[in-house]
Amino acid sequence: MRGIARDLVVTVAFAILLAFLPGLLRELFGRASVSYLSLATNALVLAVLALSWDMLARTGQLSLAHAAFTGAGGYTVAVLFKLTGAPLWLGIPLGGLVAAVLALGLGSVTLRLFGIYFAIATLAFTEVLKAAVQRLPTAVAGGAAGINVPALFRPTFVPGTMERWEVAFFRNQGYFWVYAGLLVAAIVISLVVQRSRLRAAFTALRTNEQVAGVMGVNPARMKLLAFVLSSFLAGLLGSVEAHRLGSVSPDGAFSVHTTVLALVTPIFGGLYTTLGPILGATVLAGIEETLKRTFSEGYLIGYGVVLVASILFMPRGLVGLIGKLFRGRGAGGTGRAGALADARGASGTDGARGVDDPAEERA
Amino acid sequence: MDLSLLPQAVVSGVLASGLYALVSVGLALAIGVIGIVNFAHGEFFMVGAFLAYQLFVSFGFDPLLSLLFVAPALAVIGALIYLSSIRFVLKAPELNQMLLTFGIGIILQNLALLIWGGDPRTIANVPYRSLGFQVGGVSIGAVPLGSFVISLVLVTGLYWVLAATPLGRAMRAVAQNRIGAGLVGLEVNRVYLVAFALSALLAGLGGVMIGVIQSPTPTVGLGFTLKAFAIVVLAGLGNIRGIVGAALTVALAESLVATLVPNGDALRNMVFFAIIFVVLVWRSRRVA
Amino acid sequence: MKRIIATLVVALFAIAMAQGVTIGVLSPLTGGAAGTGQAQKAGFELALAEINAAGGVLGQPLKIVIEDTKADAATGVAAFEKLMTEDNVEFIAGGYSSGVTLALVESFRTFQPVVSWIGGAVSGVGIDGFDGIEELLGAEPWFFHVHPWDYQNTEASTSFMASTGVKSVALLHEDSAFGGPGAIAAAGLLQNAGMSVPLVEAFKSTLTGGTGDFRATIAKAAASGADALFWIGYDSDVVPLTSQIRELKYDPQYIFGAPPGWPSEFDAAPEAQCVAGLIGYLPNLPNPEAKTFLDSYVAMHGKAPDNYMAALAYAQLWSYADAINAAGSTDQDAVIAALESGTFKSPMGEWSFKPSVIALHQGFGSEMWNVFQFQNGVREIVWPLARATAPLQSCR
Repeated sequence: MRGIARDLVVTVAFAILLAFLPGLLRELFGRASVSYLSLATNALVLAVLALSWDMLARTGQLSLAHAAFTGAGGYTVAVLFKLTGAPLWLGIPLGGLVAAVLALGLGSVTLRLFGIYFAIATLAFTEVLKAAVQRLPTAVAGGAAGINVPALFRPTFVPGTMERWEVAFFRNQGYFWVYAGLLVAAIVISLVVQRSRLRAAFTALRTNEQVAGVMGVNPARMKLLAFVLSSFLAGLLGSVEAHRLGSVSPDGAFSVHTTVLALVTPIFGGLYTTLGPILGATVLAGIEETLKRTFSEGYLIGYGVVLVASILFMPRGLVGLIGKLFRGRGAGGTGRAGALADARGASGTDGARGVDDPAEERA
Repeated sequence: MDLSLLPQAVVSGVLASGLYALVSVGLALAIGVIGIVNFAHGEFFMVGAFLAYQLFVSFGFDPLLSLLFVAPALAVIGALIYLSSIRFVLKAPELNQMLLTFGIGIILQNLALLIWGGDPRTIANVPYRSLGFQVGGVSIGAVPLGSFVISLVLVTGLYWVLAATPLGRAMRAVAQNRIGAGLVGLEVNRVYLVAFALSALLAGLGGVMIGVIQSPTPTVGLGFTLKAFAIVVLAGLGNIRGIVGAALTVALAESLVATLVPNGDALRNMVFFAIIFVVLVWRSRRVA
Repeated sequence: MKRIIATLVVALFAIAMAQGVTIGVLSPLTGGAAGTGQAQKAGFELALAEINAAGGVLGQPLKIVIEDTKADAATGVAAFEKLMTEDNVEFIAGGYSSGVTLALVESFRTFQPVVSWIGGAVSGVGIDGFDGIEELLGAEPWFFHVHPWDYQNTEASTSFMASTGVKSVALLHEDSAFGGPGAIAAAGLLQNAGMSVPLVEAFKSTLTGGTGDFRATIAKAAASGADALFWIGYDSDVVPLTSQIRELKYDPQYIFGAPPGWPSEFDAAPEAQCVAGLIGYLPNLPNPEAKTFLDSYVAMHGKAPDNYMAALAYAQLWSYADAINAAGSTDQDAVIAALESGTFKSPMGEWSFKPSVIALHQGFGSEMWNVFQFQNGVREIVWPLARATAPLQSCR
């Protein structure tokens, strides 16, 4: 129970931090806070994407379908608004639901696929969905050009009482808060999974499905549950992004780049943890922006070098590194690196990212 | 539906399977023998295409001649990448390998952008690129035919190497049982090194072909990579010969749909990935 | 604390102002559209060097800050907001990708800097139920659009086709946002001009996941019996398309393409022979600036421009410099007025901003387009006739 209390405290503290961050940035940087808030929002988007992918990965399902779920969310709000003009708040939860239903279908037919077979099947699913959406009647899904999506926040500029940048600040703050809320929701879901019997079930599935079955875990039910949780969050994310970016198009909404980022970020941060994907997103976004601002050419080479070095020097990701540092300083055993870090997972006592993890045995 | 185009569609599809097999065979080796999911494989195509381009621009080499230089160059690049990074993650989880090779891919792609720029390039003079033979009202392209023959030779050769040579036996042994192979005295690391270099070499051959057909750009490898992964998986991991059948299936289906359905070419990827998806799902259900 | 920072910001701002005008540039320097972005960058660098050699802007050297958008919407918005709130620029240049532009609409409207935008050619005009860039931004007094709109591209293409006297045209187009929506309009225009269009066929471009096997599509074009082939695709489709046309022994009277650029060194390829294409800038245009631009470009970058985006970027930056100098200050209204009334030089000849269907300020229109034909390794201008350097040749 102490663990749960600690989770609660840390999560609430994190939520409060996120709630006040825009105001803090504004206080510190004034006009430039608009830009920083935009970058912070991009990092939040990456964090939600990564954490939702990680939840699915905990069951051993290495999905390459995340772009399908964000894309489905985005297209749901776009089509709904285009066809019915329904109020904006309705589309977003519906986007999550549509993604979840899609995941339920995909998950049911791919239950018996493992490892790279599962990965390629989910990738193929995404590509088919993208092409199918593009082929839908233009009156419904906009064809190749896509669909316009109205902004969620449109603060009005009142001359004399405010400056123009403040309008941008309020808009960015709006999206930041929506994503902060989404991230906190994802954290809560993730922690519930980690603190309940689901964690053992998920880990067992990842490690050895047969043994998991013997232990009384229902593999199908557990896998589908992870799929639905993960895709629901991804669908919500895609829905809000459609509003923020003003349009959806097949190539943008179902980009393989989204899928790749969804998997790269948690690996970088630390797999099968709550903190890892969030930390990974923050640090990766920070590194990329710093490199971009430092080098005028070839900054992505540095980004690639960081990824390569991270795997060579911190095979358990950032969270693994932190766990090691904590233990190294004698701060105690595993599990004390912080509730969000969920260091038992991070430090590999359950083989989360261990080199001996049988779940990672290749076919 | 215009059935008069059917014979051409069949011939084009069969020949197109050659290029698909060619780009898949190296990846199959990397996944099947070393068990490494190499996200940078597409960048090996890209490097191969650019090297062929550079040899043409600098020395006027025909791409066929360039094959002799590009293939070993890619083997060296592959070996260096293996020695400097891949060998440290052999026993790491698949996902770690993916992140590593994804990082390598980003480095290669952006190095190419620095060196050659983002504009599509052209290997300007390839005398056989536009060559086609008319046989009974059907056109047979020299490049697709060449790719087909080369890939058949490579797949057969690789199959033979794996089946009948000491090196191949070593590869199969380590593929099946890493710990066991180490115990019986095989130098596992050296076998992996050779296999990875060979995989890069094969990618280099595919890359030269891509450079002939298309314009080399830093992102030219992307379209082929996703498809190569799918073909390797469709064939079944470790099943080198299966690549021919898998490539033939998808290439033929693509060609038929592209020809017989209005706006069918735009459906190529949909057809390709739909087949992959259905076969994988169907197979997993049949086994159980 | 707040006051100190505010004072500091104002002070820094004042220093920045004293050091001359800075123009913020958004361009896709990396990723799949890097070719276009790098071309724009090269054009900006050349213009910047020339502007400053000629005395700069308002007596101070002009500066530019180039931000990479990766042709990604979220990255593009963050980059724009950095330019506005960290670099404190008042003028925006560059621009590419309709997806990025659509994402920027809200932010543009908020800050309302002067935006001179090269790309984002999807006007939305003529597409029901979709608001394109011209529809969303065209009426804004601070928005200046440099590149022709999609319908202006189509207009030029169909005028050229009509001038050839062919009776029927097979139209092949790539299936994404670039070639998809415009194809229907193009088919309609061709028919209005008295030509029949027996085939309108979509294909998967090598830039959007295709692998460059166009044989099925070409076989259909051949079977359609059309006199001429007109294709809309990307520059990376040029080599596979033109070589496979030859491989399949398809011999239309004219092979005419409208990609955004042509691959480097394609001129020397035998497949290029008799292929015609739509292009914005060529060194052999009759205006003297065309050749001057080529020479100074080669002197600076060591090679000829591969992509006409370099010439557009060059023209765009020069128009800013001329307009700000004419306005005599960086006052927004004065600069807008100067951009509106000015006539600018460019490698494509003189140009100015005029109204288009919706937009108040459209730079180049259909008149920018030329059709060239590869004739024995040389890009001869064949249309419009006033600029032609050689007559159009039949491929047969």
